[in-house]
Formats: sequence, C-alpha cells, structure tokens
Amino acid sequence: MAEYQNIFTQIQVRGPAELGVPIGRATGNRTTSIASSRLLGAFANAQLGPIYLGFTGTLSIVLGLIAFEIIGFNMLASVNWDVVEFVRQLFWLALEPPAPEYGLSIPPMADGGWWLLTGFLLTCSIGLWWTRTFLRARALGLGYHIPWAFGAAIWLYLVLGFIRPVLMGSWSEAVPFGLFPHLDWTAAFSIRYGNLFYNPFHMLSIVFLYGSAVLFGMHAGTILAVGRYGGERELEQITDRGTATERASLYWRWQMGFNATMESIHRWAWWFAVLTPICGGIGILLTGTVVDNWYLWGVKHGIAPSYPAVYPPSIDPSLTEAMR
Amino acid sequence: MAMLSFEKKYRVRGGTLIGGDLFDFWVGAFYVGFFGVTTIFFSVVGTLLLVYGAALGDTWNVWQINIAPPHIDYGLAFAPLKEGGIWQLVTICAIGAFVSWALRQVEIARKLGMGYHVPIVFSFAILAYVTLVVIRPILLGAWGHGFPYGILSHLDWVSNVGYQYLHFHYNPAHMLAVTFFFTTALALSLHGGLVLMASNPPKGEEVKTVEHEDTYFRDIIGYSIGTLGIHRLGMFLAINAAFWSAVCIVISGPFWTRGWPEWWSWWLELPVWG
Amino acid sequence: MNRSILSSALLIGSLTLSGCWEAPPMDTEQIGYDGVGMQVTSNPDLTDPLKRANVLPEPIPAAAQTEGGPKAGDVYQNVQVLGDLSIQEFTRTMASITAWVSPEQGCAYCHVGNNFASDEVYTKIVSRRMMQMTMQTNTEWYDHVGETGVTCYTCHRGLNVPEYIWFDEPPANRTGGMAANSYQQNHANETVAYTSMARDVFDRYLDGEQEKIRVIAQTALPIRNVTQNQSTQATENTYSLMMHMSDSLGVNCTYCHNSRNFSSWEMSPPTRVTAWHALQMVPSLNANFLSPLQPVYPEIRLGQLGDAPKVNCTTCHQGVAKPLYGQSMLDDYPVWRGEGLGGERPYVEAYDPMVPMDQQPTLDGDQPVSGQDAVPGEDESASLDPVLRHLMTGSTPADGPASVVR
Repeated sequence: MAEYQNIFTQIQVRGPAELGVPIGRATGNRTTSIASSRLLGAFANAQLGPIYLGFTGTLSIVLGLIAFEIIGFNMLASVNWDVVEFVRQLFWLALEPPAPEYGLSIPPMADGGWWLLTGFLLTCSIGLWWTRTFLRARALGLGYHIPWAFGAAIWLYLVLGFIRPVLMGSWSEAVPFGLFPHLDWTAAFSIRYGNLFYNPFHMLSIVFLYGSAVLFGMHAGTILAVGRYGGERELEQITDRGTATERASLYWRWQMGFNATMESIHRWAWWFAVLTPICGGIGILLTGTVVDNWYLWGVKHGIAPSYPAVYPPSIDPSLTEAMR
Repeated sequence: MAMLSFEKKYRVRGGTLIGGDLFDFWVGAFYVGFFGVTTIFFSVVGTLLLVYGAALGDTWNVWQINIAPPHIDYGLAFAPLKEGGIWQLVTICAIGAFVSWALRQVEIARKLGMGYHVPIVFSFAILAYVTLVVIRPILLGAWGHGFPYGILSHLDWVSNVGYQYLHFHYNPAHMLAVTFFFTTALALSLHGGLVLMASNPPKGEEVKTVEHEDTYFRDIIGYSIGTLGIHRLGMFLAINAAFWSAVCIVISGPFWTRGWPEWWSWWLELPVWG
Repeated sequence: MNRSILSSALLIGSLTLSGCWEAPPMDTEQIGYDGVGMQVTSNPDLTDPLKRANVLPEPIPAAAQTEGGPKAGDVYQNVQVLGDLSIQEFTRTMASITAWVSPEQGCAYCHVGNNFASDEVYTKIVSRRMMQMTMQTNTEWYDHVGETGVTCYTCHRGLNVPEYIWFDEPPANRTGGMAANSYQQNHANETVAYTSMARDVFDRYLDGEQEKIRVIAQTALPIRNVTQNQSTQATENTYSLMMHMSDSLGVNCTYCHNSRNFSSWEMSPPTRVTAWHALQMVPSLNANFLSPLQPVYPEIRLGQLGDAPKVNCTTCHQGVAKPLYGQSMLDDYPVWRGEGLGGERPYVEAYDPMVPMDQQPTLDGDQPVSGQDAVPGEDESASLDPVLRHLMTGSTPADGPASVVR
C-alpha cells in the first residue's frame, strides 16, 4: 500500500532532550542523561530517561530484588544447586506456601517460611512502588487515577495472597511462586470450588477483561485512524475540540447510535480496566468463604442449563458397594 | 434530532463500497449504507432463529437457553433444524452480521476521511470467532465442534474442551494470549489513567500538558511511550490477544491431541541438557 | 536435490511426531450431549502404532480333553494353585505363561532344569501368587475388568518384568538446611503428565492405605461445623492422580467426567464407575499380592528403598482405554477365571510368601487354602517334553514314560 498507515514513523525527528517538568528541589533527584533508541523511535518515543531516584522507589526495588532472589535460590536449591537443571526445569520450579496443617502460624523456613517472608517483602515492595506512583503524581500536580488503578490490581494481589488465606485460616490456600505451579493452583482452585465459570464475579471480571481488549482496540484504532488530524494529542483535543475528536465521535455515533467524548472514552477505558481486578478479587474472596461450590450455587440460583441425558445417570458406587 | 452540534458539516455523500447513493443516508443517529441493511438483515434473522431455538427448548431463562451445534456424527453436513441446523444457520447469520458490520465500519471511515484501523482490529475478533466455529470444526471434520449458543452452556463447552487437554493452561499459545489480554488491561488502565490525571488534576490545579504526561512516566520508569506510541501499542496488544486466542484453540485438536503439559517435553528432552 | 527434499521431509516428519506438532485428520468420538464438549480426539498417527502393538498373541490350540484323565496335581509334585487342571490344560497353561512372561528363557525362568517341582527359583514363588492375583482380578474385580478380564500377558506382554511398574520414591529432594522443601512437586515429571504437580501419586492413592480422593464440596454454601474443607493443595494431589489415570489410558478428563460438575455421579459417563472400581482394585492388589512378595525378590528386582515392584494404571492399560483394546484372552484361557479348578478358591489376603500355599493362614483359620496335598518336592523330575509331544500329535498319555507318573 502506498498510503501511510500511521503504524511506523517514517521520519524520526530528534529534538533536544526533554528533561521533564520541574518539580522544585526534588528535580535534582532525576538522572541527567538520556539515551535514544532508533528502534523504539520507529514506533513510539525514542527517548530513554531521565528517571526519578527517590526513597520509596529505591527501597521498593531493593526489597523486590531480595524477594526475587529468595524465590530463585530456593528454586535452585530444589534441584540440588544444579544450574543446568535449574534452567531446564525453570518453568516447573516453585516456592510453595506451607502445608495446611500450619494454619496461619509462621512455619519453619523449609516448610513455607521462605514463602511467607517472600510474600511479605514483595508486598512491601509493591506498596512502596504504589507510594512512588502517588508521590510522583502529587509532585507534578496531577490527579491520582493511575495510583487508584494500581490499587485495584493490588487489591487482587492481596486477596489472593493474604486476605483470603487469612479468612480461610491457612496460608496453604495462597498461590505458589512459580510459572507452571501457579497455573496448577488456578486449575485446582476452580476444581475444588465447583467450577469457577459459575462464579458471577468471575463472569464479570472476564467481561471487563475482554471488554478492555475490545475497548483498547476500538480506541487505539480510532485515534490512529484520525492521526492525520492530530487525534493522539488528546489533552488538547479535550480542552479544545478539533476535527479529530469530531470525526472520531461521529464514527461511533453513526455506527452504534451513541458516542463518547475525547475525555469520556478514557473514563470508559479506566473503569473497564480497573473493574477487571476489582471484580476478580471479589470473586476470589467469596470462594470458599461464602460459597463452597459455584456450580451448585448456580443451580440454586437458576442459571445452570440442563442437557438431555445421552448416557444413563450413574450412582455413587461407594454408596452401594461395601468398601473393601 | 439526533445530530451533535458540529455534525451537519460531516454528513456528506460518498465513501460507500457498494450501492452508491442508494443506501447512503442516516436513520436518526445511525448511518445505514448497504452494509447497514445487510447487518440488520442478518441480525434480525439470526436473533429470530435464536428465539425459535429457545422456543424449542425447555426454558426461557436467559441464562439457561441453549442452542446446540449438531452431533459430531453429522460431520460437515447440514443437520436437521432441530438437531443442530438452527445453530448452523445462526452461525451463518452471525458471520454475515459481523462481516457486514466491519464493512460498514470501512464505509463510515471513508466518509469521514479516516484510516481503516478500527475494522482491521475488529477483523481479528471476527477471525477468532470464525476460527472457533468454522476453521477448527472443518479441520476436525464436524460442525459439532463449535461452541453452543447459550450464556452458561458456552462456558460448559469451554470447560470441557479445556479439560480434553488435561490442563489447558499449559497451552503455549494460550499463555501468550492470556499475557496479551492482561497486558492490554494494564496498558488501558495506564493510558486511561494518565489522560484523566492530566485533564482532571486535584482542586486548585490547572489542567496539565503532554509534557506532564511524559514526565510522570519518565520519573516512574524512565520511559514514556508517548501519545502516538500508546495507541500503537494498544492496538498491537489488543490484536495479539485476539490472534493468539484463535491460534491456541485451532491448534488444540487439529495439531495436538495429547495433554498440553506433555507438549513441553520437547524442552525437557533437548540434547543440550546433556 | 532429491536427497535434501527427502531429508527435509524426514525432518518435518520427525518434528511432527517428535512431540512438537501433529497434523490432521483426527478421529473424534462424542461422549456427552451436543456442544457440551465431552469427547475424545485421537490422532491415527499415534493410535495406529498402538493398535499394532496391542495385537494378541496367537493362542495355543486347546488340548483335546479326555474325560476323567489325571489331574496335574496327581501327576506332578508341588502343584499348589493349578492342581485341578487336566494335564493337557496344565501344560498348555504353562506353555502360554512361558510365551507371555519368559519367551527367551523358557521354562528355566521359573523352574530348576532337572527338578521342575523345586521352589528354589524365586520366580516360581512369585508367579504362584501372581496366578492367584490374576484369578482374583477376574472374579472379585469383575466390576472393573468385566468379561474381558486379564491374563499374565496384560501386564507382562512378553517381558520378564512388566514395562510399567512403580517403586516407592526416596523422600523429597531435601537440599538440607533452611532451603525450602519442595515435597514431591514442582519438578518436571512424566508421572503426572509433565505438569508440575506432586509426583508421589502412587504412594498416596494406589498402595494400601488410600488417601481421600474426593475434594469437592457437595453443598453450595459451607455449613458451619459440618463442611470439612479440603484444601486447594489437596485438590492438586487428586488432580495429579487424575493426570496419571488420563495418561495411562490415553484419554482426557471428559472420558469420565463432565467438568461443569466433576463430582456429580449423575452427570458422569458410566466409565467413571469403572474407574472407581479400579481405584479400589489397584491398592488392594498392591497391598495384598505385590508388596508382600518383597522378601522373595532378589535385590535387582527391588526399588531404591528395597520395596517390591507394584502396579498402577499404566501397567495394564499401557496408553489404551481398554487394555489390549478390549480383546479378551479369557475365552482361550478360561483358567484365569478360575474355571477348571473346582471348588471355592478363597484368596487369602494375609499372605506369607515363604510359606507354601497349603500352609498359608486361611480365612477361617482351619482349612488349607488349596485342595492339594502337595509337598515341596525334590527328587523326581517331571519332564514336560513327552506331554508336549503328545499334545501336538494328539496321542494319549496312557503309554507315556514312567517318569511322568509319580
């Protein structure tokens, strides 16, 4: 196609380094140099840096790295310190929470203590990073929408690793640190609690997850499609509506009868994305505490479909046979 | 009636793919166009078929209504209406409606002097649907492999098809798709949040500029993708989420019949491990 | 040019079946209602070799039966299990066992060359108990093996030791010190179909004391003081057992379950009941027949922890939903149903392998287990050659060599 499609930047412009809006004395905490990437520049901004080095961020990275190392070294220990086996079995390795018999007590290091410590350090690290997002917003006089969005994700993380295990009375309910093992946990969780597809908050969370993908596809596509009118300059379009916004709005109005504005589409976006972990967290929290079997809950509330029987129904053999 | 304050000047003729001036008009706020007509046709017929299928069933409970595909033994033939034929017709109507909608998106884009990015993204979603109900069933030799049309029943299908591979989370394409979905949600929250942060500062503050947006992200992670970049990234993420979803289901069955965890044995058995 | 095409084709072909990709067409069989998603999809490229590997051996022709002929227990010494068989059937059974278990070593695998009655070779003692095990499987465990039943061949398939057996595992790889215990999970393992779940499934569920398999709550809401909450971790253990079962049978979860409600028996296909019986049968066989044989085996036959070899689902099924594709050998070899042996054959579960069958502890403490009054013999050898010869020619043994008769 000869026409420019607004996917890759054809001519990259290098201007003076953008060192950021001044933030008073704290401006000195930023690094001073920048780098430039042609590869990135073909698709997005080319400039790398500067970065703000503050207390919360630095401590967050340190604690996070310690947590990461604890996980890694325990994984390495589990293959007898064999580095080759570590790489070979990496996806299968894990740091597991303690067994159910420990309840909520602090278990021995080798039986879940490391997991508990890692969880604690990781939570502190995440909390500190959240603080960083909040403080940087405050310093720049911005609203706090990203910190609150991050808060929604933290809500889900805390439900999975802390709140729900506490309500269930056992650290063993929490998720292991490990690539395949956390997937095993996910499947086992759904099996144990009677099929999570029947959990209405799970349904809502998925609606918002898929909806986020739909919305970002719609919004990104729309903005790129009006790139020739400067559509990506969204802040200016919000405060001073131009032809980009007008065409974008009409595009959707003519399609589906209603439309957003250049500002409100970002509210749709924010809410869909944020409701994904919020509903997900609620769904997890209710599982095992309030509902023990979601399929049976579904039957109770009249949502479970019935199918014609194609084979005769079985009877539980343990009821009819004497156990040997 | 339904026109926005600035709308009149944009309501021009032209941009149509088929039909010229014949359907080039609006009904209220809705643009019609040739593909608007076909969309309505397929949607109405398809919906009426769904209602008919529901009437044949034993419930009007919207959660329990189920229109099932044919039995696998019917292969790729047309099944009797009451034994999966309705499902087949609804599928044809759905594809007709979705493709019509995408082509209508093209017509409206042309009329407004916009690029085709939106119908391109939507096409990937249509691809995922067509993969599920056409491509994979054809590869497996029976329409019965498609998912049933019902709110909870389609979830039962997802669950059982997943467990046909013992542990579907181990499907590598599924992993990619899930990652793209989660990353899309993350990026959307960041983008929506950033624009709202700058345009809705705390009380007493002025509305901020793009320099503030860039500075915020550079302060936090040392990089700001930029206003154009975030939309390119968003489109890329959303398209990949749909694409790898389609891949992950089309390989399950036609290109892999064992449990998905077993697929990873190729890694474990690489000669390099010695 | 042709060679590079050929080698590319070979490479692609080997990649296809090397565990990376398969290719259509596939066979599918629907199990549940339309659109529910319960089905088995199989690849003929993978199942055809299995079908070829699961062909029954040619049966030895049944011997001409002579009414009122001598029984094996009357003619041979130290026949403790099969004594009621006619000589022809006894010989035929021995020949078939040889073909199924020791085709290369022949009779010498269990018998001392010049004294077939001797119990010196450990295999003779093991095989006696395994004969009883086979018969018990086909009678007591009919609910699992049905009319098809099993014979020695089902597990052994022409090998001295069945290809798929299991031993106790050494305790988890403890690196020691404070390093986290990974128990028996979170490593790549074929046992659990390459998931990272716990691999000590056999020990938990298929040997003697069986851990609780059922984990799913049976009420929508938890009931205070009544609902016994099984943990998510316990569910993973059950899931890993299911991985083993699926893998051994070459089937998927929907073969026995409707995953919308795994625990419901009304919604499960009838195959699940059959599988339930298997989960009663296998621990019983291991505990009552196989583990007690431990003192008999030489060290090379024992596991790392000195335990006896035991069976799991793979031992018989070997990747197929019905072992040997459901072909029965029992019509040709009815002895394994206990036919021709006369009388009740109670199989004693408290078994001491060092003690002859007729002196084993019995169910009621009094009667000997077998109807034989056989004595562990030593001197007179019972040569089978004349018997085999007469089987082939059809002549009667009336004028057979004196050594045949005790």
